[in-house]
Amino acid sequence: MKMKKKSVSEWVKSGDPWVWLNAGAVAISVIMVVGLLLLIAVRGLGHFWPADVVESHYALPGEPEYNLVAERVESVEVPAAQLREAGIAIPDNHQLMQRTLMKTGNRDVYGSDFRWVIDEYLTETKRPEMMFTAERREWGNLYGYLKAVKEDGTIVSETADLEPTDSALATWNAFEKSIERAARIFDEIHVIEKKDIGKINYALERIRLEQRRLELEGKLTPAAEADLAAERSQYDEEYKGLQQSLIDLYAQINRDTFIVQVMDGTEHEMPVAKIVHAFRPNAMSVGQKMGFYFTKVWEFLSDEPREANTEGGVFPAIFGTVMMVLLMTVLVTPFGVVAAVYLREYAAQGWVTRTIRIAVNNLAGVPSIVYGVFGLGFFIYFLGSGIDQAFFPEALPSPTFGTGGLMWASITLALLTVPVVIVATEEGLSRIPRNVREGSLALGATKFETLWRVVLPMASPAIMTGVILAVARAAGEVAPLMLVGVVKLAPSLPLDGNYPYIHLDQKFMHLGFHIYDVGFQSPNVEAARPLVYATALLLVIVIALLNLSAVTIRNHLREKYKSLEM
Amino acid sequence: MSDVKTHSIDISAMQRSQQALRIEDETVCLSVNDLHLYYGEKEALKGVNMIIPEKKVTAFIGPSGCGKSTLLRCFNRMNDLVDGCRITGEINLRDQNIYAKGTDVAELRRRVGMVFQKPNPFPKSIYENVAYGLRIQGINKKRLLDETVEWALRSAALWDEVKDRLHESALGMSGGQQQRLVIARTVAVKPEVLLLDEPASALDPISTLKIEELIHELKNEFTIAIVTHNMQQAARVSDYTAFMYMGDLVEFGDTNTLFTNPSKQQTEDYITGRYG
Repeated sequence: MKMKKKSVSEWVKSGDPWVWLNAGAVAISVIMVVGLLLLIAVRGLGHFWPADVVESHYALPGEPEYNLVAERVESVEVPAAQLREAGIAIPDNHQLMQRTLMKTGNRDVYGSDFRWVIDEYLTETKRPEMMFTAERREWGNLYGYLKAVKEDGTIVSETADLEPTDSALATWNAFEKSIERAARIFDEIHVIEKKDIGKINYALERIRLEQRRLELEGKLTPAAEADLAAERSQYDEEYKGLQQSLIDLYAQINRDTFIVQVMDGTEHEMPVAKIVHAFRPNAMSVGQKMGFYFTKVWEFLSDEPREANTEGGVFPAIFGTVMMVLLMTVLVTPFGVVAAVYLREYAAQGWVTRTIRIAVNNLAGVPSIVYGVFGLGFFIYFLGSGIDQAFFPEALPSPTFGTGGLMWASITLALLTVPVVIVATEEGLSRIPRNVREGSLALGATKFETLWRVVLPMASPAIMTGVILAVARAAGEVAPLMLVGVVKLAPSLPLDGNYPYIHLDQKFMHLGFHIYDVGFQSPNVEAARPLVYATALLLVIVIALLNLSAVTIRNHLREKYKSLEM
Repeated sequence: MSDVKTHSIDISAMQRSQQALRIEDETVCLSVNDLHLYYGEKEALKGVNMIIPEKKVTAFIGPSGCGKSTLLRCFNRMNDLVDGCRITGEINLRDQNIYAKGTDVAELRRRVGMVFQKPNPFPKSIYENVAYGLRIQGINKKRLLDETVEWALRSAALWDEVKDRLHESALGMSGGQQQRLVIARTVAVKPEVLLLDEPASALDPISTLKIEELIHELKNEFTIAIVTHNMQQAARVSDYTAFMYMGDLVEFGDTNTLFTNPSKQQTEDYITGRYG
């Protein structure tokens, strides 16, 4: 007993438990981070894989059998008792049962696109090769057998077979061609609607504002009015031309329809124009699936969202996030550095400076929503409406800067992150060796020249550290943004081809808010869930990339101004 | 301990074969009149009176904390940067009181250059280090900069070692080279006085020797004041020596006399190593 006690105390004294404790803490942290990333990666990336579509007979005990066509989403084990309580007549010999969430799609036909089934009662499960999945611009996925393709109401190809016979494949080929054609026309329509008509609308709005401005200034002479009217009629003319071509294109795109047989055996006719992709997952090889997978991932990254953000891509949100963070960086860096230089280099180090420093440090701990409220109250309602009255009276009563927008969001986040930059810069300034400053001063440089030419360059790695921390914090922030300019769906990007190119007053989309919106505000939560994971993964990657570029810059600077300590 | 004395006398005897110097014959470059300096309450210099002769090397010796570095830093008003430092009395640079109101301190520091104990090159290229002082003065003509940089590096006996890597970082040089670079940087703005604050104390013996040789060269063009802990060094490089103790200037005279025949007991005790 005595021996053992001694050995324990010796073991404690040796420091080993301490090492174990530290290593354990590190291990737990690593496991948690890796686990989190793995979870969102697996859940998010799995979404884009073209899953097989199974067809089975399904009958609960004592209920009629029906045909089920669906993708498997997830499986859970549930106690049989729970199912019995839900009113399903499960025989007494079962304890646990496998329950699977099936995505049946065809929301327009069945009303909902998910249902839970109990694996035990699925029979005659098969993966028919001619079963196809179609992603649509509305109503979610469609699963079924293709029966016919029509042009202008006349059948160009039809088949009665559910097996991959020649006639079935020929119909499928006609279908694919038709989709391709529709997609081409859709792109043309998209360009006209977004770009050309957008430009005209922008110009017309500018003319309206110009007229209103002249009116307010009392300079609206008949000559000026005639000029504006002439300009306007020119755009109206252009608009009419575009509208005519749009009508033509819509007529063309709506030419084709197809007939599909869904799982209950009924047949439905639908326009081809509504299809984004159609593919037969059960007939695809792994290579084809991989190819399709990457197309889908690319689409997610580069496309605009559809269907209340639950489908399509997130490009505007990526763009908004990156742009907001960059703008925030541009604002916060000079401001934080100047403040830190004053505090560290010029201000007398008395109690006032100390108090300011403490206040700055505490600012970093203020909950971000408070910044949001401040941004809304001060920047938007006070400054913004002041700016509107002074510079944009012609647009009133609709606000220009008096409402949330990219600029106010960036400024609010800059305010949120400025303490981090100040603290890091001060730290960096205090580490510049005194003898280097003296070396510069002794050569006849003034204090400002010394700061500008020697001290600040040497402190630049520390400044970059502050910027990195600021970027990391700002990119992940959502709460304040909801108050100062982020929206669920922005009609256009804040950067485009219309003068002045960067629209700081525009509202924008943000990945963080997108996660919240898709996950919790969307009408179809089940369908949106994988997108929440995918968007979360994307947000993490975007933040990591932003940080990585800042770290690269910092390392480069560090190498250049490496410490003088020898 | 006595061998220290013999050694130093040997060296000084070897180097001082020329005729004896007389402070009365020298042109005055800097004169110090009743200089008191206080760090807060503490009096660090207690009424110093002396002159720094033109184009000669004046060494300051004394135990740590005696005020020799403080006095040196008064000559280019480096002490202004120390919080709570106060000065009475005056220092004249050619009849112009450098502590007079309205003195342009940056201009003064251009005329009175300083080299510090630890090499402090800027994290820039060798070329930009030497050109720094000139750029500060608004000189940006490439030809003029090139010429001055070469001249300064030659003056600091560094040109041959670095002429092929002028645009590499100065931080890659050895400590001795860095210190000579700092000297070149100071020389480049063509000051009237060079203040050297223990310039070789952080260097190895060979680099120290090079710096000492350099001082011999530089005194043809500049008035030099050097603070050193190393008495042999003071004896080797200087024409005049000031011995300071506890903020007082104890003895000031030509180096030969001060080391061989000091007039104060304190001086003799210090140079023979009897205390310290």
